[in-house]
Amino acid sequence: MKRAATGKLRVYLVLAGLGLLAALALGRPELAALAAPFAVFVAIGLAVGRPVEVKAAAELDYERQLEGRLVTVLLEISATEPVERLELLLDLGESLETEAPNPILIRLGRGERRELEFPVRCARWGTYEVGNVVWRARDGFGLLVSEGRTTGGHRLKVYPHGENVQRLLRPLETQAFAGNQVARSRGEGIEFADLRPFVSGDRVRRVNWRATARRGEPWVNETHPERNSDVVLFLDTFAEARRDDLGTLDLSVRAAASLAALYLREKDRVGLVSFGGVLNWLTATSGTTQLYRIVDSLLDAEIALSYAWKDLDVIPPRTLPPRALVVALSPLLDERAVGALIDLRARGFDLAVIELSPYPFVPEGESETEQLAYRLWRLRRDALRTRYASLGVPIVEWREGVPMEAVVEEVRAFRRHARVLRA
Amino acid sequence: MTGAVAVLAAVGLAAYPAAQDIRLQPLSLALAVVGVFVLALGVLARWPAAIGFGLVSLGGTYAVLFAAEGSRLDRLAPGYAAGLLLVAELAFWSIESRVPAWSDPELAIWRLARLGLACAGAAVLGAVVIADSAAATGGGGLLMETLGVVAAIGAIALVAVLARRHALE
Repeated sequence: MKRAATGKLRVYLVLAGLGLLAALALGRPELAALAAPFAVFVAIGLAVGRPVEVKAAAELDYERQLEGRLVTVLLEISATEPVERLELLLDLGESLETEAPNPILIRLGRGERRELEFPVRCARWGTYEVGNVVWRARDGFGLLVSEGRTTGGHRLKVYPHGENVQRLLRPLETQAFAGNQVARSRGEGIEFADLRPFVSGDRVRRVNWRATARRGEPWVNETHPERNSDVVLFLDTFAEARRDDLGTLDLSVRAAASLAALYLREKDRVGLVSFGGVLNWLTATSGTTQLYRIVDSLLDAEIALSYAWKDLDVIPPRTLPPRALVVALSPLLDERAVGALIDLRARGFDLAVIELSPYPFVPEGESETEQLAYRLWRLRRDALRTRYASLGVPIVEWREGVPMEAVVEEVRAFRRHARVLRA
Repeated sequence: MTGAVAVLAAVGLAAYPAAQDIRLQPLSLALAVVGVFVLALGVLARWPAAIGFGLVSLGGTYAVLFAAEGSRLDRLAPGYAAGLLLVAELAFWSIESRVPAWSDPELAIWRLARLGLACAGAAVLGAVVIADSAAATGGGGLLMETLGVVAAIGAIALVAVLARRHALE
């Protein structure tokens, strides 16, 4: 808590002093009559002014909420002394907004507890501490001001809102565990794959009686087993393009959260690599707990400026399991991320790149030189995209307003017509 | 709103001595204009020092009246004192940070009432000072004058010490 004299106190002191001295010097009681009220005002104000400490207890109706939704913050304010004018600012940072007036001015009587309600809109995903209050208490005379900040707010997690995706990207190869994906291999399953002659050990229930009758010898059905797959979401956090309240990192976090939820619903194992100035990873696992782990980890994702060169060797080996589908979400703005993705492909990973388009965030420029530079930059990006495509990596541009479903479908179309190259 | 009322009240205050037909009227008028202008500047720029300078100028305008008028006692001094306090309070009110008082609409009314009380108190105090000096017959001599100087300086020093102590807490 900090306590200070206001400018008013200094001015009143000067006025009182000058007035009284002028009254003495000129021998005029009228000047003393002018100065006396200011002196008495200051004297009374200082005599009755007491140091004050304000306490604020905050409660949230939800500690987890989706982007764009409302959370109600209930503040209970009390003070050690009566406060004539108490200015309160609920510290919300830049990504949370309240529709209630903030800051507000209230008056607290002796022993009074005031409850204030702030509906807070969660404008952007992330983890926030909500409930800290910055306060400024003025005495009734406006001569002294106390300022402070209450701590002990609650942690609010704002999850990114999901993108609507019905069909997912399927990895080229599945894993050994049961899941919802029809494997390319043959084995015990439901989905019909082919017919073959009966061999010793085949179960009678697999005999295809129609084919057997037609060919005169026993034939059996072959099926595709249902298996799960490993998916690694690769988040590029080296750099982002941003304008106002939206950036490519926001898009990638939304996409990653949606894809993780859908893959986990399909019983796949999902891992996360946040590859940037700060490296974060989660090894691939399945289940609802993993979804919460991934989303919590996504909330911590941020662009951390770093000049250190990083490649795939810094990622722990288990984070990128063999035969996993790697879905990279990147604006392709940093050479290190671009190189790491090419390296992933070279190591034989099944890779799909969702390019979070930086174009909406980068103005074309007004001068001819700026426009030329912009066109050159776009050409270089086109060349990079061609390079990925030639390596057999599907690369699709995604931007705000375009359904995620269309992006996934475009990757699926690419993969239908592409061949897998093995070194 | 409060700033505009403060400037209007300052104009009213400045008009009283400046409009008197006195020997030093140009000086009084100049001080009045400077006082009102600087006060308005202080209100607009949210600058307490400028408000203080404007108030001192308004007081100076009033002081010029006595330098020109000699020994006649001004019976309107209590009213002028109340007016000066009103101008000061409104001006400092107007430069406070803008905070919507949505949960306490009675705060403004409460504050206006306190302001009225303070101005009435200032008028009463001024009247007491004037009445006391009018009742005094003749000079008090060197001893009384010395006592007066010491008392004035002591009062200011006491208030300054109080203010400093509070500011350091």
